[in-house]
Amino acid sequence: MLRFFLKRLGLAALVAFTVSLISFSLLFLAGDPAIALAGEGATDADIEAVRIQYGFDRPVLEQYGGWLGNALTGDFGDSYYFKTPVIHLVAEKIPITMTLGLCAISFAILLSIPLGVLAAVKPNSLIDRFALFLSVIGQAMPSFWFGLILIVIFAVNLGWVPVSGSDSWRHFILPTVVLGYYATPAIMRLTRAGMLEVLRADYIRTARAKGIRPGKVLFKHALRNAVIPVVGLTAVQLGFMLGGSVIIESIFALNGAGFLAFESISRNDFPTVQALILIFSLIYVLLTLLADLLNAWLDPRIREA
Amino acid sequence: MKRKLLSFTLASLMTVTVVPVFAGASDNSLTVAFARELESLDAYMNTDRDGITLARHIWDGLVYRDQKTGEYVGNLATGWSWIDNTTLEFKLRKGVVFHNGEAFNADDVVATMNFVAKPENGVKTQRNVAWIAGAEKVDDFTVRVLLKEPFPAALEYLAGPVVIYPDEYFAKAGTKGMGITPVGTGPYKVTGHEPGKRIDLVRYEGYHADSPKGRPSIEKITWRIIPEANTQFAELVSGGVEWIWQVPADQAERFSSLGNFTVTNESTMRIGYLGFDASDRYGETPLDDVRVRRAIAHAIDRQGMVKSLLKGASIVVNSACFPSQFGCELDVPTYEFDPGKARALLAEAGYPDGFEIPFYAYRDRSYAEAMMANLSGVGITPSLTYLKYAALRDKVQNGEVPFLFMTWGSYSINDVSAITSAFFRGGKDDYAHDPEVIEWLTEADSITDPAKRKELYSKALKKIADQVYWLPLFSYNTNYIYNADLDFTPTPDEIPRFFSASWK
Amino acid sequence: MNAQTVDTAENTGPSQSAQMRRRIFRHFGLLIGGGILIAIVLGALLAGALAPHDPYAQDLANRFADPVWKEAGSWEYILGTDHLGRDYLSRLLYGARISLLIGLVTALISGVIGTIMGVSAGYFGGKVDAVVMFLITVRLSMPVVLVALAVVALFGGSLLVVVTVLGLLLWDRFAVVMRSSTMQIRGLDYVTSAKALGCSTLRILLTEIMPNVLNNLIVIVTLEMAHAIILEAALSFLGLGVQPPLPSWGLMISEGKNMLLFEPWLITIPGVALFALIFAINMLGDGIRDVTAPENRN
Repeated sequence: MLRFFLKRLGLAALVAFTVSLISFSLLFLAGDPAIALAGEGATDADIEAVRIQYGFDRPVLEQYGGWLGNALTGDFGDSYYFKTPVIHLVAEKIPITMTLGLCAISFAILLSIPLGVLAAVKPNSLIDRFALFLSVIGQAMPSFWFGLILIVIFAVNLGWVPVSGSDSWRHFILPTVVLGYYATPAIMRLTRAGMLEVLRADYIRTARAKGIRPGKVLFKHALRNAVIPVVGLTAVQLGFMLGGSVIIESIFALNGAGFLAFESISRNDFPTVQALILIFSLIYVLLTLLADLLNAWLDPRIREA
Repeated sequence: MKRKLLSFTLASLMTVTVVPVFAGASDNSLTVAFARELESLDAYMNTDRDGITLARHIWDGLVYRDQKTGEYVGNLATGWSWIDNTTLEFKLRKGVVFHNGEAFNADDVVATMNFVAKPENGVKTQRNVAWIAGAEKVDDFTVRVLLKEPFPAALEYLAGPVVIYPDEYFAKAGTKGMGITPVGTGPYKVTGHEPGKRIDLVRYEGYHADSPKGRPSIEKITWRIIPEANTQFAELVSGGVEWIWQVPADQAERFSSLGNFTVTNESTMRIGYLGFDASDRYGETPLDDVRVRRAIAHAIDRQGMVKSLLKGASIVVNSACFPSQFGCELDVPTYEFDPGKARALLAEAGYPDGFEIPFYAYRDRSYAEAMMANLSGVGITPSLTYLKYAALRDKVQNGEVPFLFMTWGSYSINDVSAITSAFFRGGKDDYAHDPEVIEWLTEADSITDPAKRKELYSKALKKIADQVYWLPLFSYNTNYIYNADLDFTPTPDEIPRFFSASWK
Repeated sequence: MNAQTVDTAENTGPSQSAQMRRRIFRHFGLLIGGGILIAIVLGALLAGALAPHDPYAQDLANRFADPVWKEAGSWEYILGTDHLGRDYLSRLLYGARISLLIGLVTALISGVIGTIMGVSAGYFGGKVDAVVMFLITVRLSMPVVLVALAVVALFGGSLLVVVTVLGLLLWDRFAVVMRSSTMQIRGLDYVTSAKALGCSTLRILLTEIMPNVLNNLIVIVTLEMAHAIILEAALSFLGLGVQPPLPSWGLMISEGKNMLLFEPWLITIPGVALFALIFAINMLGDGIRDVTAPENRN
């Protein structure tokens, strides 16, 4: 187990390193952030001063080396735009994105696993078709369109929830539904498929034949096994959600890390973008690592493989 | 009472009504929405128009420009006089107190001026302070502001972006502290700040009674940051905010037909322009030929765009400046919309079948599209690249852009040095590099005699228009939309003044 | 070389294809998806003939003309006009071309990258597999939307940039699926016998492996097409998609969203079109999977 863990951890570190290298070289192509830094009214002299002050005249590898060295100690440099340490900015904004992500994934799980199980228990029934319908809609609905429609109906016309902001739990309802719905189809399909497979398996038939209550068979025996691949998928989906919450955050004025990343891209705020891409990928890597460990714990066969 | 405020049809199936919640009037508070998060609340450390607006509420300048008369009146100063070309002496107002209880005197002015004058202190918009050499205290309520060289627009800057900080607090808090918990003498003080979400402003009860800004009426202002325009509209309709601005003409028209909102339109100093590579910085293009540039000027239906797209207080602009700016010569060669003439000029220049040209823009995509349609009408095929401002300005300054549509707001500085000189004095934004124009502008920027300045700017602007180094397009306007019960007056300098607003 | 496959195909051919036909026509989703997709593709191909107006022709005096079902609507502009007075129906038809093109080209680029990586990983295993798996993990851990936004912001939004960026980002699913499918058939008799007969690796890959992973490939192509189209729409929504005046559906949605509260049909029309397209492609993909490999049905 320890060896498995260490191996995965090493891989995770290597992945994060590669991602940072890729994003650094990518953003380096952005050319000269000095102009963005200096602002609209800046004169040539202002821009030149900024350029030298920040060391944009140094070679790429030198800049990357310096950045990586500092990043390892948690120092991502200062934001060009806010002039404050990037790490503070991220610490300020990431709770909103995390809250949104966790709410959304909980919503997705609560909606999709029961539906997936029910759909598998009664294939081709009305509930199966309903689940299929929901998942097909979810796959095809652009989230920004869905979000705007929900705002117009539930916030503007019905006035049930606030339009935007993040002051109370009520502000998170709509964004949670929009972002969570996005992850629902995949989880539901996998749950249904896993359940179908497990329900056909010998040991379930045996358990049924032995007269164990159907509910117990379903939840104790079947779901536990069917859920193993779902754990991994859920982790992956959560990772995608956090990195993809830009649009939701922008529509609902949530101002979390996703929106910060988008705004920083527009402002050529290089250190902030760089740090956020790295942090999002680290979160993803850690989530999958966690899922692997959880799976190994749920299913001992994985450990030996 | 249910009022049918807005009907929304989803695929024209559904119609619903809304009851707006207007909380503001009852407790004398106001919630306003702005699109962008400020990098810092410190007035000298952000470059944003929203930041300029905020600064006017928290701080005061030595002088103030009366929006009705256009005259400078005293604010923190009660009088001033030029000692010589580069020395401006101010008599300061007595009895003014900062939000934190610190008394205002000459030390505050000296400390502020000496701080912002040093480039290493990193004032973001250097243009605002680059002319200041420093300040000297004469006595507790007399101070001399020293200029590096004669600078005719000094009062304009002292009435606007150059605000006075409390020296003791600033010495302790520094730029960082000021950016989080600002302290000024202005009509409102900051009581809460959640970066990127909201700024809470409360009326400053100790605001000096003689201020030309007047005593504010509204007690509490909640300044919300809402980036998506649609979200702002939805908040306005559902009562979550009571004031928004920078609303495009189409939506503003629809709002005014709803009845519950006041929609006002006010001109701004921002103008749009087409820029051409006339000096081969990009390389050889058909745009090198003045006849081609004139053809483009005839091809664009600026009047049509103003009428159908910009609307409101916008006007067609012919000179490379905003008409109200000092030195803005309006009597320059003009080019009316005439596709036939455009085609003839193109044929004369040797392009009877037109040509293809890269075209860059960073905002108002629909305006760019409208102009592209005009150009293709005379055979020119622009291929558009749409970039974020920072990325486009970078390319422009590197000489990589032959043809562009951009805008310039002059920082609301009412003097052509803030626009014409910024683009035609030979800097990195200058694609004309006309030695004559450079010479005239350089001289005009450094003398104080108004008549002589006017004459030089006039020569430069006439040549720019004649050679079509720029095709100035139109001035921008902005629409303010707010609760019909709010008394609010927009001003042409594009700085909302909530301290003069009140509930009816 | 692939005598065995040919042999079995010949022996069971007629009944298999008949079975297949029956499956196709009994598969509701496949028919619906295929039907909608064919309609959209036809609309796109025949846009020149079907469109009542020039999709680029502006008429600033006739902006936001109502569609025909509203009171002020007319048959002249069936779906009304947009913010520059251009005929919405014509733009929708031409927009189908752009959106389909984005989907197809992206799927092609990412398909080539992903298939090469996946098939070599699955076939060669060992170190090749380890490297490919590592690259897949790296790719998956990169936030797609952010990276795409950053690149498009940098190079400017154009069809070429968008398609290239998405193509370079969306190959992961191809690689994963091709890898596992190749692994499944790598050990099968006809592959090992081809190896024993001394066929070149390239030849084995092309003639033995590829035809047998094709079904899975087609399914992924459909999924990734849908994915690319929706991502382009998202980029357009944030103001960084294809360049105007090209009428991609994503761009139309992003232009229409400005009038969401007042002229909702402007966003509803391209929104519904986009929804229908994604829906159709997904149904088709699911259908193909069900029909070609019914045992994998879930």
